[in-house]
Amino acid sequence: MLELLLQTGLNALYAAAYLSLVAVGLVLIFGVMGIINFAHGELFMLGAYVVVALYSGLQMPFVLVAAIGLVFVGCVGILMELSMFRQLRGNPLGGLVASIGFLMVLQALVAMGFGVRMEHVPPFTQDVIILSERVRLPVQRLIVIIVAVMLLVALWLFLKRTKFGWALRASAQDKEAAALQGISLRTTSLIAMFIGGALAGIAGSLTAPLISVTPTMGHSVIVAAFIVIIVGGIGSLEGAVLAAFIYAFVHTGVTTFLDGVIADIVGLALMLAVLVIRPTGFFGSADRA
Amino acid sequence: MPRWLVAVGVLATAALLLALPHVLSFSQREVLVFMTINILVVCSYRLLTLTGEWSLGHVVMMGVGAYASALLAKKVGVFVPLAMLLGAFTAAMVALVLSVPLFRMKGFYFLIGSFAAGEIIRLLWKRFRDPFGGPKGIKRIDPMPDFDLGIWNFTFFDPVSYYYFALLVVLAGLFVMWRVEKSPIGLVFHAVHWQDNLARSAGISVRAYRTLALVLSSGFAGLAGALLAHYIGTVNPNMFDIEQMVYVLTWAIVGGTATFYGPIIGCVVLTVVNEIVLREIGLEQGRPMIYGMLLIGTVLFLPKGLEDLFHRLSRIGLLFSRQPRGGQ
Amino acid sequence: MISFPRLTKRQFVQSMIAGIAAGTAAGLPRTALAAGETIRIGFLAPLTGDVAAWGLPGLQGCEIWAEWINEAGGIVINGVGHNIEFVGYDNEYDPSKARAGASKLVIDDGVKFVMMLGGDTWPAVQPVADQTGMLFSTLLPSDLGPDTPTLIAPAEVHPIYNVTGVEWLAENYPELKTAVICAQDDALGLPSVATYLAAFEGAGIEMLEDPLLFDPSTTDFAPVATRMLSSDPDIICLDTCYSAYVHPLMEQLFQQGYEGQIISCTLDFYDQITAKTSVEFMEGVVFQFPDFDDPALEADNVNFRDPGKFFDEFNERYPGQWGAVSWEYAAIMDLWKWAAEKANSVEPADVLAAMTETGQGEHIFGTADWWGEDLFGINNSLVGNWPVVVVENGTARIKEFRSIPDWYARHGDLLKQYMTDYGLMWNQR
Repeated sequence: MLELLLQTGLNALYAAAYLSLVAVGLVLIFGVMGIINFAHGELFMLGAYVVVALYSGLQMPFVLVAAIGLVFVGCVGILMELSMFRQLRGNPLGGLVASIGFLMVLQALVAMGFGVRMEHVPPFTQDVIILSERVRLPVQRLIVIIVAVMLLVALWLFLKRTKFGWALRASAQDKEAAALQGISLRTTSLIAMFIGGALAGIAGSLTAPLISVTPTMGHSVIVAAFIVIIVGGIGSLEGAVLAAFIYAFVHTGVTTFLDGVIADIVGLALMLAVLVIRPTGFFGSADRA
Repeated sequence: MPRWLVAVGVLATAALLLALPHVLSFSQREVLVFMTINILVVCSYRLLTLTGEWSLGHVVMMGVGAYASALLAKKVGVFVPLAMLLGAFTAAMVALVLSVPLFRMKGFYFLIGSFAAGEIIRLLWKRFRDPFGGPKGIKRIDPMPDFDLGIWNFTFFDPVSYYYFALLVVLAGLFVMWRVEKSPIGLVFHAVHWQDNLARSAGISVRAYRTLALVLSSGFAGLAGALLAHYIGTVNPNMFDIEQMVYVLTWAIVGGTATFYGPIIGCVVLTVVNEIVLREIGLEQGRPMIYGMLLIGTVLFLPKGLEDLFHRLSRIGLLFSRQPRGGQ
Repeated sequence: MISFPRLTKRQFVQSMIAGIAAGTAAGLPRTALAAGETIRIGFLAPLTGDVAAWGLPGLQGCEIWAEWINEAGGIVINGVGHNIEFVGYDNEYDPSKARAGASKLVIDDGVKFVMMLGGDTWPAVQPVADQTGMLFSTLLPSDLGPDTPTLIAPAEVHPIYNVTGVEWLAENYPELKTAVICAQDDALGLPSVATYLAAFEGAGIEMLEDPLLFDPSTTDFAPVATRMLSSDPDIICLDTCYSAYVHPLMEQLFQQGYEGQIISCTLDFYDQITAKTSVEFMEGVVFQFPDFDDPALEADNVNFRDPGKFFDEFNERYPGQWGAVSWEYAAIMDLWKWAAEKANSVEPADVLAAMTETGQGEHIFGTADWWGEDLFGINNSLVGNWPVVVVENGTARIKEFRSIPDWYARHGDLLKQYMTDYGLMWNQR
């Protein structure tokens, strides 16, 4: 039983890691630009397809490919900002529909380029850290956890210690006041979209060998990410990370001890309960309601 | 406009709607039936958005009506048209219950909260195989009983017959919603949207009116679901998933929600493009891509929706018609 | 409900449809084939979206099939060759779109036969089949029912053939005594669970836990693997999981140190699983879908033209897209061609009559019986032998073609019991 609990904890840690990467980007975009990026799951998917093309296909080293995934998908985020969101400032519903349109375009492009079937991504290492007979941590999963922690710490430092980070937080808190301070929403939006895309992209790249890579894989991630940002409080990065932990542990635990379908119901009920009791989430500021 | 002109317009529209299926191919008639039902869905959705709330659970409400009507007809043996009305009523009641937690939220939170509530209902359908049939849903739902009206033999396998029937129901639904919008209640809906605090200080119970809008719109969505269920003979949880909701949302936003006809234009144009034009071109794989590009293009270049284009076109038309009288 | 006698009603609708189609050649009433006229076959399955992997590769396989048949002179009816053309319609696995698609194919396009994936989309198409008498095929025999005599399941009798793998395993490895099973909670997963439970009970293997169900949107399978390993089973059964679940599940079982027996319905791209695990881990995995370059498929009893060449051709055109559905629809077409040429007609009723007249048909894995009344209320599934495939040294090899009806004769009651428990019998729908 103890082994089962420990293994479940390790499973949940990994789930929390990649979910935080996706959710934090979603929160950042919503905070700075007020746009719900429905295509965020597809950015995750693009990160995985970068690995399919460059690592499985061209056999480039995985570390390099993951870095390319980060930058490439970050640039796709910038493309979204320049081609769509910039024109739709102050029109959140328009932004939502545009991101839905973008999602369909991305899915179709990938399906036409790579086919509808699942893609093969060979493991970059098969090493496993064996803690005991039934408690094992595969190194690939450990790396996802480590990279997620590193990136989130880096993001936190960026936001708290740099001028750009300060500008980003300012425009997330109050756009008008930020504008009065001479902060350009154009610049902060570009940065937010790049970071959001990059985090989703690297999450997709790193998990590509561990999950099934298909053109529609973004679906399942986006639902979990929405639950996470609601529970954490929209606009709060710390909240998103904490909520990713809570959600991952609850979902993994219920799947292990009851079953997967009940785990989904529990996850959604958790989100609904938070919305009812404290609509702004654990860390959200009340004035956003 | 003179009265006789209105009468002529109404008669011409009626004739057009009646004649429409006869110029289409058989499968286009099927698409027409689904489109007619979807118009009720998207218009009822707009009723809710009048109060400023955007839901992601509307299609699930449609599903509640479909499941309820299907189960009543199949398991209890309720006469199908009556089952449809009861299905609509069930959807309205479920919405009433859900409004208690949901209207603690507003705006984005309501959007996401309605999504969560809808997903939970969908997962319950999947989880409880008795009576909901689990993931495969309910099959062999009783069809509308055929009958002969003398002038038209209603055989409900035939899409033309079902189109006439659905058209009648949908028009009745649209008429009710139109009257509601033009009534004092509708004015309050607008007030709740635009002047939330003012409305409250004027002694209006904002929450009561929001609830009323949600219950009414869900009831009509449920009616649409029931219409669908007894036509295709099956319902399952995936028919009412977020993807379907996204379609309704895009019809409404691409069409525009400022006017009553905006969502109808959106639904008609996008359905025709997606189900007929793009399929005829033969681009099976590229279809979602072009549809997606159309969505982006519309929100970028027609931010007020297709209704705005329609509006402008009709203004140009009006200008032309006035010209002989000497312009302005 | 007010209803006309079926035949009258159908005749009425047919006359109505004939009225619509007057002036085009697309009417349902029998029209003699013009010399050299191309025969159109409908393909109504998901071509985009989540379920596309169950449709699109099938259409691609059929295109190859059509090219080969047309090069060889086409379908010979009354001594005259006719080319075959496939008309695809993307139903997006949505019932409404499937119904519109069925109407388009049958009434507007005038196809002579429609192949479907079935499942969620079938119930909405059923009225079209009832009213037009068109011949339809499905990959999922759970769609069959006594009210629709023109729906057949001639290739795959999912999930009944899964019993062959379990029985083979029990005979060859009698020391394996306990098992656990996991499945996605959907219309494909549940009938398969019922079948495996019956097969395990029939083989005297004990289930250690209730089936572990997960939602089809699951991506992380570590918890599922952990849970299954926690009861220390001899056998882990992956049910009819799609490859998107089988791969990460196998990877997790490997990483979490499982060394026991694995049985699964499908194992598409097993070479990729081997790359993610190891040759030793994969040794002895039992499943039901052979490679098409398997030497056992060159045997005379196998009714598929050049399976190895078909496999190569498909892989060359659509690299990485091969799967069971790539050949299944083409195999149905082989049966259809056999029956149409026998009947000297492509009319649905004639072809169906020719297919079933002797009670046997030419199934891809040998002559088989039209069977299923017990389970589906109608003998419209073609059931005979099915291959048991085992991974040996990194390669899948057919160990045996095992008879499904023989198993059913011994354990049919168990299967009926479990199907009833899961609400899956035809009379429970």
